[in-house]
Amino acid sequence: MAMWALLSGLRGDLTVYAAVQAELRRQRVDTLFVLGDLIGPEREANALLERLQQPRRGDLQPHCIYGWWEEQLLAERGFRGERRADALRQSGGEAAVAALLQAVDPGHMAWLASLQFGFVELDCALLHGSSTDVGDSLTADTAPLQLLDRLTRMEANRLFTARSGEQFCVELCGGGIESRLRDLEGERQQHQSVPSRKVIGVGSGLHYTLYDPGSDHIAFRRAGGPIHATGRGFV
Amino acid sequence: MAHAVISCLHANLAATEAVLCDIDQLGIDTITCLGDLVGYGPQPNEVVELIRARQIPSCQGCWDEDIIEGLNSCECSYPSQLAERRGQRAHHWTAAQLSEENKAFLASLPLSLRRDRLLFVHGSPNSQHEYLLPDMNAFAALERVEAAQADTLFCGHTHRPYVRELREGVIKMRLRRAVANPGPDIEREVDLPVRRIVNAGSVGEPRHGGTSATYVIHHEQDDSVEIREVPYDVERTCQAIVAAGLPPLFAWRLRHGFEYAERADDASHVCER
Repeated sequence: MAMWALLSGLRGDLTVYAAVQAELRRQRVDTLFVLGDLIGPEREANALLERLQQPRRGDLQPHCIYGWWEEQLLAERGFRGERRADALRQSGGEAAVAALLQAVDPGHMAWLASLQFGFVELDCALLHGSSTDVGDSLTADTAPLQLLDRLTRMEANRLFTARSGEQFCVELCGGGIESRLRDLEGERQQHQSVPSRKVIGVGSGLHYTLYDPGSDHIAFRRAGGPIHATGRGFV
Repeated sequence: MAHAVISCLHANLAATEAVLCDIDQLGIDTITCLGDLVGYGPQPNEVVELIRARQIPSCQGCWDEDIIEGLNSCECSYPSQLAERRGQRAHHWTAAQLSEENKAFLASLPLSLRRDRLLFVHGSPNSQHEYLLPDMNAFAALERVEAAQADTLFCGHTHRPYVRELREGVIKMRLRRAVANPGPDIEREVDLPVRRIVNAGSVGEPRHGGTSATYVIHHEQDDSVEIREVPYDVERTCQAIVAAGLPPLFAWRLRHGFEYAERADDASHVCER
């Protein structure tokens, strides 16, 4: 079975995306998932968004979901009912909201609004944050009970997350819990074991993750570095 | 000291009066209500006014919220479209009956109440619409209590009373980091805390297989919880349901104490609105 590549946190950086695509061409990867944060306030994201929607020859077709930054933009532009980019406004102020609006041409909004919260492929959930929220930041230090809860909510064996930007793999590999229940029918006891599960942080920008669903092998990668524009137009 | 926890009164005055009478007879003067004062039943104003008159601290239930905010939950709350239509009929009837003052009272209710390490909510700490069923995944149940920083979580919503203690939990984990996020690979065992979920059942629309109203008493001295069943004049409520023009099925299920009628199809689903 061929591998998946999972990346996130491009934040409008076409150079980074091109570097990852170039590297993926040399690997046995057949499916590319971009787990949100395609855009950000730092730079204009239009060129990247165009390439994601219309891949160049040789590019792996990207399967994109929305991330925290898209959620903020969609809210601010009225795609989330009465909600606005409150979280961004709180953390970055009006300047950050203005920069984000500036970074994306309104012509891309319909495509951004069409992106899904996540994918479920085989027994894997591919999300930006977690099953509770796009902004839920799971890290290597998140309490294992919380990780197990996020997996349980999705009924998935593997949860790929991107929000923290970290690359990590937490494997839940044993344990259990006793539960004593008393109701009008009487009392009963139950033991539940911890199922074998993994939460994988896929990284951000040049840091991406390869996953082989056949062997369950995970490899953390860093693309060789930015490819600068050349006279022949490789960007 | 003991305190009583009641939930899901559902505009059933006869049941509410019977339960409050039982609590009074036991000499308990601290009562907490977990919401759903209205919905399904025929006396929404009377029940709200009784709770207000007794100054019983209450949190807001899903029906209380829907009456104030308008119906905007997804289809997850009902097992069928027919059941959903009945629920909508009851919603519109209740909204039309409730006085503005009583609506303002429901709107003022908090989503949770806290007393030290005891937390009181309607559904779960996440949502008034989430069901914490007695057989839900034990780790997920523990997470709801732990994330809310409580030792004991009192909830309602399922209409089935229970006490569930979660103990001796341990999770073994193996952590691998990437070079970009340096740190050693580690293996460890994490001990989980002992926590408890207490579901108060339902005063006005029981679904435990019998017709009695249910509630719980928490004895603080030994931290024990007692599940109480209180018989009440079911027929009085059933006749009022029919007289009010509410769906007769609401009377039928109260009269028979059916366990499954109108229960959400996918109770573990969290309503996404």
